[in-house]
Amino acid sequence: MLLDRDDWYGVAHDLEWSLSYVEHEDAFPDAWTGSNGIPREAWRAWEEPFRVSYRDYVAVQREKEAGVAGVRDALKRSRVYQNLHPSFAAVSHLHMGATCMIEQMAVMMLGRFARFAPSPRWRNISVFGMLDEIRHAQLDLLFSHDLLKYDSRFDWCQKAFHSNEWAIIAIRSFCDDWMLDTNCIDAALAVNLTFEHGFTNMQFVALAADAMEAGDVGFSNLLSSIQTDEARHAQQGFPTLEVLMKHDPERAQRVLDVSFWRSFRLFQAMTGPAMDYYTPLDRRTMSFKEFMLEWVVDQHERTLRDYGLKRPWYWDTFLQSLEHGHHALHLGMWFWRPTLFWKPSAGVSKVERRWLNDKYPSWEDSWGVLWDEIIQNVNHGRMAQTLPETLPALCNLTQLPIGTHLDRHHLECVTREHHGRMYYFDSEVSKWCFEQEPERYAGHLNVVDRFVAGLIQPADLSGVLQWMGLTPDVMGDDAVDYSWARDYLPDAQSAG
Amino acid sequence: MDTGNSEELRRPPLKTWSAFGNLGRRPSEYEIVTHQMNHTLRDKPLEIGPDRHGNRWLVRHRDAAKFAVKDWDGFRDPDQLTYRKYVTSQDNSETYLDAVLQEFDQLGRAETAPDFLQACLTPSRYLAHGLQMMSAYLQQLAPSAYVGNCAAFQTADHLRRVQRVAYRTKQLDRTYPGRSFGTTERRAWEQAPAWQGLRKGIERLLVAFDWDDAFVGLNLVVKPLADELTLRQFAVAARHLNTELDALVADNLFLDAERSRRWSAALTRFAIAEDSVNLGRLHTLIAKWRPLADEIVETGSRLSEAFLPGLNSSDQIAAAAVGAWRSFLEEAGLQA
Ligand SMILES: [Fe+2]
Ligand SMILES: [Fe+2]
Repeated sequence: MLLDRDDWYGVAHDLEWSLSYVEHEDAFPDAWTGSNGIPREAWRAWEEPFRVSYRDYVAVQREKEAGVAGVRDALKRSRVYQNLHPSFAAVSHLHMGATCMIEQMAVMMLGRFARFAPSPRWRNISVFGMLDEIRHAQLDLLFSHDLLKYDSRFDWCQKAFHSNEWAIIAIRSFCDDWMLDTNCIDAALAVNLTFEHGFTNMQFVALAADAMEAGDVGFSNLLSSIQTDEARHAQQGFPTLEVLMKHDPERAQRVLDVSFWRSFRLFQAMTGPAMDYYTPLDRRTMSFKEFMLEWVVDQHERTLRDYGLKRPWYWDTFLQSLEHGHHALHLGMWFWRPTLFWKPSAGVSKVERRWLNDKYPSWEDSWGVLWDEIIQNVNHGRMAQTLPETLPALCNLTQLPIGTHLDRHHLECVTREHHGRMYYFDSEVSKWCFEQEPERYAGHLNVVDRFVAGLIQPADLSGVLQWMGLTPDVMGDDAVDYSWARDYLPDAQSAG
Repeated sequence: MDTGNSEELRRPPLKTWSAFGNLGRRPSEYEIVTHQMNHTLRDKPLEIGPDRHGNRWLVRHRDAAKFAVKDWDGFRDPDQLTYRKYVTSQDNSETYLDAVLQEFDQLGRAETAPDFLQACLTPSRYLAHGLQMMSAYLQQLAPSAYVGNCAAFQTADHLRRVQRVAYRTKQLDRTYPGRSFGTTERRAWEQAPAWQGLRKGIERLLVAFDWDDAFVGLNLVVKPLADELTLRQFAVAARHLNTELDALVADNLFLDAERSRRWSAALTRFAIAEDSVNLGRLHTLIAKWRPLADEIVETGSRLSEAFLPGLNSSDQIAAAAVGAWRSFLEEAGLQA
């Protein structure tokens, strides 16, 4: 007789045996499984959130690959990229540079689950996730490689994570930490559940819609195809949370609270500017804040509620930061644009500014004055004054500039001494994250620490740029050659 | 400050990743999606405190390996596997196996060898799971994505095997409800003497954390012997016992085993060519695993003994398995 998947599926997951030639604890060390204090039997309750057979997986994925390959071929013959708005091109540079290597890191993380996860069901399901992530990395690489001939910035799809570019260091510090250093259980909560399910999955949906709006069909198709895999494997965190809630709910709360804040800060830096400043105004569907509230915050609150967890203690700070943080980061990133490998769009023409004030009522008070100064300088040809001479102070946790989590009136640095070294933080929340496990971060040097320690030579901005790998052909500059500033010239015919 | 952006227009467009340097040819699609795709090959592998567990683990178990070359990114998988190639070729294999199962179903042939299958086939899901876990370990410790991706695909090959074995197990369970197919295997795996060499091999591998030790132990010793005994020699026995279906499935799974051998042999040959000192290092590691190899052959060759009276003795099976293993090692530029 022929069988259906569900007939034999249980047998394929019945794979636990009693080791007798070596000690179980040696073969499955707590440091990787994360199972300390949780009895081994507890993991029998770990139920896979989706079922898939290898047979179906390769068939379905082969189809998907054929679909994407078709899009890629069509794109190679079209002029989509050449006709793309330059500020949307910046979104694709940023996206490719910032995410491609994360996909490949996820291969390693899922490989770790496939080896060390405390349940054979979890180990098996991770194998599909591992394949998915190879796919994502390889698709990003292929699409970017096709576009190299138009723009060398796509070289950074492959190169970014080998560089010391500060934004990449910020991403690496989160991903190396939670994906590659952390035990399976904490990683599943921080990465699958919080980062993937909570943030990136939603971002892929939103970004795909925006890309479609902006006319970047290829990018949009690519993102949607990747998202169908993500939506599946990002579910892995839920059964893990369920088991952990029975045995160590405090740990679950702590891991989720730390990873939510860190994911959020990264999103403020990467997705915030892309949504509220780079995406051409007529293509914007919602603001970053609206997107976060509708897709991320809602869902995260629901997850917490469903599992009997509390909102993070910093919830009010988080909501305030949602109003301001990404504007601060955007302004900082635009000002320090030579330190980027993409060309940020300022996004503050008069009509865009009206949109910003409409979406964020305090925008003008916080950021308008600062942009006005930049506009004056641009319009008077004082370009040097719109460019940095030094480095900004950076947080020892998030690696992001200090003074970027709230509005202009809250730029102060939070400090804490640990074993004789002073650490600097962008917020009380980041300091709290550090305090949960100081040793996790203690020996690490951020870019400024390395500069001060003389590890970057010559010790000036040009030395830093060189150290970051920013060659002139990719070094960031204004996306549209400052054309938006002309709006503010006395004789300008305002566009809106 | 001057950011020098005026130079932007003067640079010719890139034809490929700058990471290739002066390759002198167009890189293949395989190279484009694999080259330098491991970002942790640095002094302090991870962007966290240098003394953290993850950093220490990679430094100790990967970067300190004596089996080393200047740049593992020089290695190439002879199959040049990419994700797309992998799912395409594996879909073909799976389609073939589905067709085989369907054909046997339509022929309505009765099962011929339930005892043999319960002893030799169905417990192998544990073996395959062990090989799967270890392949995943190789993936995460691999010093290059050119190596790591091979190991990732090899990991998935074993999940394929686990599921195909589970499928047959359930079919047999339906045919012989009284024999408890599906629940007797753990005991066989844990206690049947003929499985003990292999189980010991898997368990010893689970504590082999140095990547070169794990690579040699898994891909040069335990896995090739396991594949010889439980796929190739299994298929021979299955044919004697008229369970052609299981022989065909094993033959097809063996294609995956052969792919593993191709990249493993290519890797050792590459490493020896890069630095001849590696030859001695590999032989030292093989010597370490050698007693276990003997035990695997000694016990594993008896798996089907009872079912083939006067046909295929365990000595013949052992000789065939060892012979195939030796010629694989020769392919790899080594000797056992
Ligand atoms: Fe992914
Ligand atoms: Fe993912």
